Amino acid sequence: MSAWPRPVRPRAPIAVAAAVVTLFWFVAHNGGAGWVQFVGDLVFGTLLVGVVGPAVVAGRARVVIRDAPTDGVAGLPMEVHVVASSRLRVRPLHPPGDEAFIGPAKRTAHDDIVRITSPARGVHRALTFEVASAAPFALQWWGRRVTVPLPHALYVAPRRGRPEATRPTRREQEGAIVIHPHVEAGFPRGARPYVPGDARRRVHWRLTAHAGALMVKELERPSAQAVTVIVDLPPDPEEAEAAAGRALATVLELLDVGASVLLQTLEESGVVAEEVRGRRQAGRRMALAVSRGTIVPSAP
Amino acid sequence: MAIAACASLDEVSTTTASVAATLVAAGTVFSHRTRVRPPGWVKVVVAAGAIAASVWFFHSLTAPRADFAQIEDPLTLLLISVLVLHSFHVPARRDLLFSLAASAGLVAVGGSQAIDLGFGLYVAGWAGFCLWALTEMWTSASGGGRMSVPSMLCALGALSAAAAAVFLVLPAPVVSVRVAFLARAGLGGSVGVPGALAGDSGAPAQLAHAGSVSGTTRVGGYLGFAKSLDTALRGQLGDQLVMQVRANRPSYWVGETFNTWQGESWVETGPRSKPLEQTLPFVLPPDVGASLSGEPDLQTFYVAGTTADLVFHAESASELWFPSSRVFVAEDGTIVSPIGLGSGSIYSVESVVDTPTAAQLRADKSGETLLAATRQTDLQLPHPYPRVHALARSITAGDATTYDKVASLLTWMGRHTRYSIDIPPLPRGADSVTEFLFGNRVGFCEQISTSLAVMLRSLGIPAREAVGYVPGGFDPITDLYQVHANDAHAWVQVWFPGYGWQSFDPTAVVPSTPPSPGATALREVASDLRRVPWVPVAAVGLGTAALVLVVRLRRRRPPSWAARVTRYVELAGGRAGRPREPSETLPEYARSLDRLTAPESRTWAELAREVEASAYGGRDPAPPAQRDLLVRARRTRVPRDRSAAAV
Repeated sequence: MSAWPRPVRPRAPIAVAAAVVTLFWFVAHNGGAGWVQFVGDLVFGTLLVGVVGPAVVAGRARVVIRDAPTDGVAGLPMEVHVVASSRLRVRPLHPPGDEAFIGPAKRTAHDDIVRITSPARGVHRALTFEVASAAPFALQWWGRRVTVPLPHALYVAPRRGRPEATRPTRREQEGAIVIHPHVEAGFPRGARPYVPGDARRRVHWRLTAHAGALMVKELERPSAQAVTVIVDLPPDPEEAEAAAGRALATVLELLDVGASVLLQTLEESGVVAEEVRGRRQAGRRMALAVSRGTIVPSAP
Repeated sequence: MAIAACASLDEVSTTTASVAATLVAAGTVFSHRTRVRPPGWVKVVVAAGAIAASVWFFHSLTAPRADFAQIEDPLTLLLISVLVLHSFHVPARRDLLFSLAASAGLVAVGGSQAIDLGFGLYVAGWAGFCLWALTEMWTSASGGGRMSVPSMLCALGALSAAAAAVFLVLPAPVVSVRVAFLARAGLGGSVGVPGALAGDSGAPAQLAHAGSVSGTTRVGGYLGFAKSLDTALRGQLGDQLVMQVRANRPSYWVGETFNTWQGESWVETGPRSKPLEQTLPFVLPPDVGASLSGEPDLQTFYVAGTTADLVFHAESASELWFPSSRVFVAEDGTIVSPIGLGSGSIYSVESVVDTPTAAQLRADKSGETLLAATRQTDLQLPHPYPRVHALARSITAGDATTYDKVASLLTWMGRHTRYSIDIPPLPRGADSVTEFLFGNRVGFCEQISTSLAVMLRSLGIPAREAVGYVPGGFDPITDLYQVHANDAHAWVQVWFPGYGWQSFDPTAVVPSTPPSPGATALREVASDLRRVPWVPVAAVGLGTAALVLVVRLRRRRPPSWAARVTRYVELAGGRAGRPREPSETLPEYARSLDRLTAPESRTWAELAREVEASAYGGRDPAPPAQRDLLVRARRTRVPRDRSAAAV
């Protein structure tokens, strides 16, 4: 699909319109009756506007993403609020999604929602749609490809795979998730108010009941002596996707047991090793992670 | 609407049209109710019905006694059948398109018979319904899409422009096939003496300027369509439509010719016309000396009002489709109808047109083909006309050929005579040619053409007087020549041995090529525009524009005084090169404007404070104070932000 408007299949209406006009003109011109020619001219004008007009509409249409989620999961649909200057048929191309109609509507309340489903993890800063129109007479659809920037980046986390066993491993080959757990999780030494990022399992429910505010256990040794999860994704995209899913599941499982997790991944900017405090952050890190083979060393 | 259009032109009876329209409405309702899951049997019934209608249509065309020229009637019924049947099964948008296409065909069939602009009402109605259906198709296809009024106007404008462009570019339609050569009797009634001309029964004609004012007026006031043509009399020609002509090219619609000049009147003294009885079409005897080869010129005459019983036609008529079993044909090509030709009468003529060029006429050296007696008649003069002869000889002194002599005389007539219908009466016993040529040389077409004919005869060139109509105005929509009563005309026919009688007109010019509908339409539009009273129109237009502007400005006007002050503040900042940032509150923006204005300025901040107090504190100042604030906001200026300009 081009950035310029092109007729969308079926293209038969164009040929039919040309045939009808030619036949009409032939009859009108040889019939000697001016009204027949007049009617033929009207038919020609209607067909011309009906067949070519959508190209103008599709070409001039302006599409803006009004709202979009910041995070998503590969394979799960996400709803994007898209507005258009005219009524358009929208088919998300990258990432793919369901066909929808957006733009000013006549009777029904239009929600201008387009559902996209990213098949793989990643970060999307723009969405690519095929927008098409058949206005004003629905005789022929014309479409073009538009890439619309998102108001903010959309992080698509991998699908949660089977978690790795949370014990030390020495497998450090490609595609493996190497976990360096801390030796002890620590002993309780007190309690403190809950702060965002604290694991649910560390909530001290009895003390919470006494204090009236959410309290969490504080360990003798900081649990943030993190379990280090090193993710080394293989070059093959499918394998990398599966490995990312396993890594995410592992991290989430560790987070669920209250462990502090240091996640080391390779991103476009280089190796990143940061503590992960929650699911969203874990998902974003895995969305940003790339495999080693995808980094192209810059020239010195 | 398409069915009604056909009914209005008698393509189908009113009963048939009413039943069909009712069935279409019922079918549409049925189809709408069953559109989600249409019953299977409906499709079968519709298909069977369509096949049956098609078989009937082809059978009616190929039957032994079928007349292909009458294809409109079965075609109309076929298309109506298709519309009716298909209306019961319109489950998808493409089915609706099919119905629209069938209705377009039906309107076109009606249009092939339409001869006036009234048909445009049906076309407009049909086009409106079609556009509505098409936009509803778009609504359905786009999940409830709504076209804004400007978009709809744009679409309509583009449609009209495309249609108009094609209309302007395409040449005029031509009748290239004999599909519908019509012949239909109208409301003319009977003729007292078959073969005689109406008005010959002794009823005197109404006179315009000369003679006595009494008696009945002939066709549109013209007195020439009779046994004689009195050149001293000129009827008061009306503007009523006499007939409409569909033809491939404009021509003189000749009614009759006169060969004997009596000094004041022309009369026809040849043999009486003979009855011609044939099955249609009448094959007419060729004109004496006329070329038998040439391009066919097909004409259909739609008589609009009671006219003479002359069968008008382009010269060199060869075939005639006429609503009668016989016609009367004279040697000079005059065709007389045995029935009265009234409103609604239609007949068709095919002429063989062989228009020689000036060079061909100049080089014409064919042998004498005119009979001696006829030649003598066409050189007849009531007296020698010595002064006329001398004048003609002096004009044509340097000319060797007949054509050159005719051309010289035409040129002289154009330079030295003046057309007018307001002339003094001819003295009793005077010769109208002598009075005209050696008098004030002011006269109308009968006098000018007669003078030319007499001058030619005085030079020994056979000539005769022809009367009929000039082509009339061309209607670019109907492609019909509109012949009015005041298009009645007289001109001269000159004998050329190799080409027969050729028409020359000293008072009018008839184009030989068909007019272009587009050029004609543009010319008419330009002519209409020239007649438009521009001053009042411009005044009304400017007033309307001003009203629209005021309304739009008032609509854009902020509803509250606080909003207006805010706008003034933003306008002042924008003019100074410091527009308001989206993230900026009004007080922040006002402070920055104050800094631009002067270090100690608080003007903008105070305005912003008042606005904030109104917007968020609900504390509105008194109306006089509001006006003061508005005036301050509007009049205060901010010095231009030089740093921004430098950047």
